[in-house]
Amino acid sequence: MTTTLERKTVLPPSQHEFAEVVHRLEAGGAMLPDTPENLMQIIGLYKAYAIPMDFYWRDLLYIAERVFLDPVPAFKYFLPKEYLELENHYAGDNADLRIWRGYATAHKELLEFMEQGELKKKLPKLFHHLWHDRINMEFAEECMRAMLWHRNMGGLLEPYMDSEEYKQNCDRAIRAYFKYNPIMLGLYKLFPEMFYEQCRQATMTSVLGLFWEIMAPVFLEMSDIYDEGGFKGVPDAMNFLVNGIFAIAGRPIYHRVNIRGEWYDLVPKSKGFTWLYEAAFPYVEAVFYRTSPFRGTKSYNAQAKQIPADQNDFHYGVLYADKFPVGSAGIPPTLLHQDMFHFLPPYLVEYYQKFCRGKDDMLIQLGISFQRSMYCVTSAVIQAGRAAFLYPLDDPNPDHLRANRAYFEGQLNRFCRREYGINEAARLRFIQTQDYR
Amino acid sequence: MLSLLIAIPIVGAVLTMLMPNGITAKRASLTALTIAVAITLFLSRNFILSEGNFQFRESYTWISLIGLDYRLGLDGISLPLVGLNMLISWLIVFAYNGYRSRLFYALILLANAGLTGAFTATNILLFSIFYELELIPGYLLIAIWGSAKREYAAMKFLIFTAVSGILILVGFLALGWLSGDTMPNFDYQSLRQADLPVSLQIILLLILLIGFGIKTPLVPLHTWLPDTYVESSTYTAMFLGGLLAKLGAYGLIRFCMPLFPTAWQNLSPILAFWGGISILYGAITAIAQKDIKRMVAYSSIGHMGYILLAVSADSSLSLVGGVSQMVSHGVVLALLFYLVGIVEAKVGTREIDVLNGLMNPLRGLPTTSALLVLGGMASAGIPGLVGFVAEFLIFQGSFTQFPIPTLMAIVGTGLTAVYFVILLNRTCFGRLDNRTAYYPKVLGIEQIPALVLTALILWFGLQPANLVKWSEATAQTYSRFTLAELMPVPIDSAQIAIKK
Amino acid sequence: MANIVEIAVSNDSFQTLVTAVKAANLVDALSSPGPFTVFAPVDSAFAKLPAGTITTLVQNIPQLTRILTYHVVAGKYKKADLLDKPRLTSLEGSELYINVNGTFEVNNATVIAADIEADNGVIHVIDTVILMRPHWFDGIMESGGYSFRK
Repeated sequence: MTTTLERKTVLPPSQHEFAEVVHRLEAGGAMLPDTPENLMQIIGLYKAYAIPMDFYWRDLLYIAERVFLDPVPAFKYFLPKEYLELENHYAGDNADLRIWRGYATAHKELLEFMEQGELKKKLPKLFHHLWHDRINMEFAEECMRAMLWHRNMGGLLEPYMDSEEYKQNCDRAIRAYFKYNPIMLGLYKLFPEMFYEQCRQATMTSVLGLFWEIMAPVFLEMSDIYDEGGFKGVPDAMNFLVNGIFAIAGRPIYHRVNIRGEWYDLVPKSKGFTWLYEAAFPYVEAVFYRTSPFRGTKSYNAQAKQIPADQNDFHYGVLYADKFPVGSAGIPPTLLHQDMFHFLPPYLVEYYQKFCRGKDDMLIQLGISFQRSMYCVTSAVIQAGRAAFLYPLDDPNPDHLRANRAYFEGQLNRFCRREYGINEAARLRFIQTQDYR
Repeated sequence: MLSLLIAIPIVGAVLTMLMPNGITAKRASLTALTIAVAITLFLSRNFILSEGNFQFRESYTWISLIGLDYRLGLDGISLPLVGLNMLISWLIVFAYNGYRSRLFYALILLANAGLTGAFTATNILLFSIFYELELIPGYLLIAIWGSAKREYAAMKFLIFTAVSGILILVGFLALGWLSGDTMPNFDYQSLRQADLPVSLQIILLLILLIGFGIKTPLVPLHTWLPDTYVESSTYTAMFLGGLLAKLGAYGLIRFCMPLFPTAWQNLSPILAFWGGISILYGAITAIAQKDIKRMVAYSSIGHMGYILLAVSADSSLSLVGGVSQMVSHGVVLALLFYLVGIVEAKVGTREIDVLNGLMNPLRGLPTTSALLVLGGMASAGIPGLVGFVAEFLIFQGSFTQFPIPTLMAIVGTGLTAVYFVILLNRTCFGRLDNRTAYYPKVLGIEQIPALVLTALILWFGLQPANLVKWSEATAQTYSRFTLAELMPVPIDSAQIAIKK
Repeated sequence: MANIVEIAVSNDSFQTLVTAVKAANLVDALSSPGPFTVFAPVDSAFAKLPAGTITTLVQNIPQLTRILTYHVVAGKYKKADLLDKPRLTSLEGSELYINVNGTFEVNNATVIAADIEADNGVIHVIDTVILMRPHWFDGIMESGGYSFRK
């Protein structure tokens, strides 16, 4: 159950719709209730997510640094060996800060999967690729697109990408990249803004790659700690994430392109962009909360204002996702579920076979566990925000505690908005019970 | 041969009741029905397609005092119906695994035997006996295995069907006594040659029309149907709708039209309109329904109206269409009731406002929904499926004679599509409700009856000759004119003055 | 009097801060005439941060510089001068939220010693490392029923 802290002064009970969640947050817990089942589900999904993520960050950096402005990038998902062996800065012996106790190159399970795929047969890579028997990078690109597309998500990177300095950096890189291609250079002269936009897309690809380069070892370490029994409950897991967020908050965010052996900086490290402000917060805002409505599988009536007119009101991220309509081809979260399905730890596979339709609807079951785990990550971000910008949970000053409570309630209010059916779409209420599977 | 077809299910019913438990009972009844199916296949193998009259005839004098002879015969109208009978009974017995299964199988077998007897009887009194024989199994099937209002529904069924039986019996008795001299003549073949005065024909025809009209059913004699079908269990509804209702339509084609040719001819314009009204009424009320089973029940009323239209047009094409419609309707209705039954069993509700999103491949009922779509399309007469074959033949055969009723029927077909789209849109498409969508899976063995019926729908739809060839020759002997000679027999104006 | 850097160096409780300022090459800047107002976190403030935070920052100087310059404001503001100034713009560019009613607070840090005069400005000693508040922070707090002085 939740840990109670010794406090000298105690606030009266909250009057919020989600009062029990507010109290849990104030006691150091997460939005997700603290039960062993929840802990097992979220850690299992962290592990299942970390391995595709290992591929995602490598391929994202490959696309941002090498593929860059390739007009027909048909093989951008075919990751070269060099990037598989790229060392993660936060794992292995040469790490800047060793978050995962394991090795820095591509994960063993990932390599195994890339060899044989789901079909467990050694076919030419192209067949595996066309059959979608691979890690589905489309999901990663969709996350990147959400971050690119939503403006005002915070941080200094976004205004920088509109600045003259950035455009000059892009100009240099574009000219170098298309040095032997007069057609593309001609197009660039005619439509420079288009190329700048492509550069911005490549920059966001790099940002996302750098963001996930850290999350992968974090999740792998959490899985290892859980396997050893080091987590007593969900708050422990969440606190690991909070500490992780602080530890790597200062990690630089940059974008550089390798053109014929030379490195060109589009966003140099010297600009001082940090992981916390320029990657993590925008990612949570753009991808966890907002993203975009599913295109092509659900009809929305614009006249009936079923889609918010203001992009900031979008509520189509994982925290609001309806996990049941799974299986429709091409919806990015479904692709992620398919990826995670390949790397589920055995204790989760066993667990899922006991409920709902067992093996048949495991994709939905893991999707819901994934949603719980992302609520835990969001809770960690919220608690990290509290620790960074507000007061400790055991602060003796009641004014400070009131500020903390206002912060928690303000965060939860985002899930309670009545417009556009946001409060019905938010899954916060559903995850409070174990029956939501 | 035909007697075997009647006797074997009866023997099977007795054996079933003697079996120790449900599993052995199912084996016994399935064995009996499989033999019956085999015999039916054998009969169809040896059926001469070009021969319009009765084949495989059997004739025994029984109670000559009242003119009741045991005479059986199979022609192009009865063969498809006997085949339908065997198929659906087999599927029902195969699929049912519930409460008091021994009694259930026995009742189905008895009803099956009675139906075969009714479809093959060439002595009209014998027909009445088999017709009445269906009452008790029908009543028990509804009363024992239905849902909340089953006793009410069963009683309603009993009363209406009994009245219909009495009217038919009265009509036949009158016909027999009036046609014979010293002895009543109940023999079908000779009755066709009999020539009663037209006024008499009209009176007898009206009595029989009401009798068979209750059974078919025709609006406004249909009020027993919605409650009966809805309150019955899935399998009972399949049996009642798929088979028992055919007795009424069969009576129209076999007895009402050929035995009273002049009267029928005189009344046919009114009858055609009656058919059209029945079709439109069924379709329009179906659109208003909120319970999917009730919707299917009303659609059943609509579809039987086509048969009245076909028979009143009385061309060989429309008669072939009428027989095909009986088979088509039987197969499609059985499929629809079966699928609605699965939805109800797995989801727990039949309400259109609550059901949603069943096409979901992981948590819904995808195969059932897909087959429901197909069944809906078949019912709406989409080409490539069996419904189109039947309806198109009826339209083609009736249009030149009765253009307005045919137009009403075509509009009815369009309206059928309306309510099926409503049904499918609300039930199959949309989103599953997260709070409640934890349904059990549909097992492979539960899919089999639906798949068999769907295969048949596709088979007949894609190659209609397989359905139509059986009844072509017989339809020729029953129709007044073919398409080639669309010259109606002149109507005597003095006789048209006689109304109801 | 000494300048800001010299005061920090001579004081025992600013060891971590001094190391950071030296690593970020801000010594010259903070020794210049200015004037500056510096909110200086004590060593225990840095110790409160979770393990690895300082390591990562020290490995990446531009990022460290940003955090450090957030603690510096151009101009000399003693506590009395801040009575009518709820916001100050730091050298980093983001705003500092000042509260002088009752306790003297900057963002979520309490000033434990105020108005330490230097040649090129004034130092206020704080007990927590302060971090830039994201643009959504005000909105969230208001939604929860808490409003800052404007």
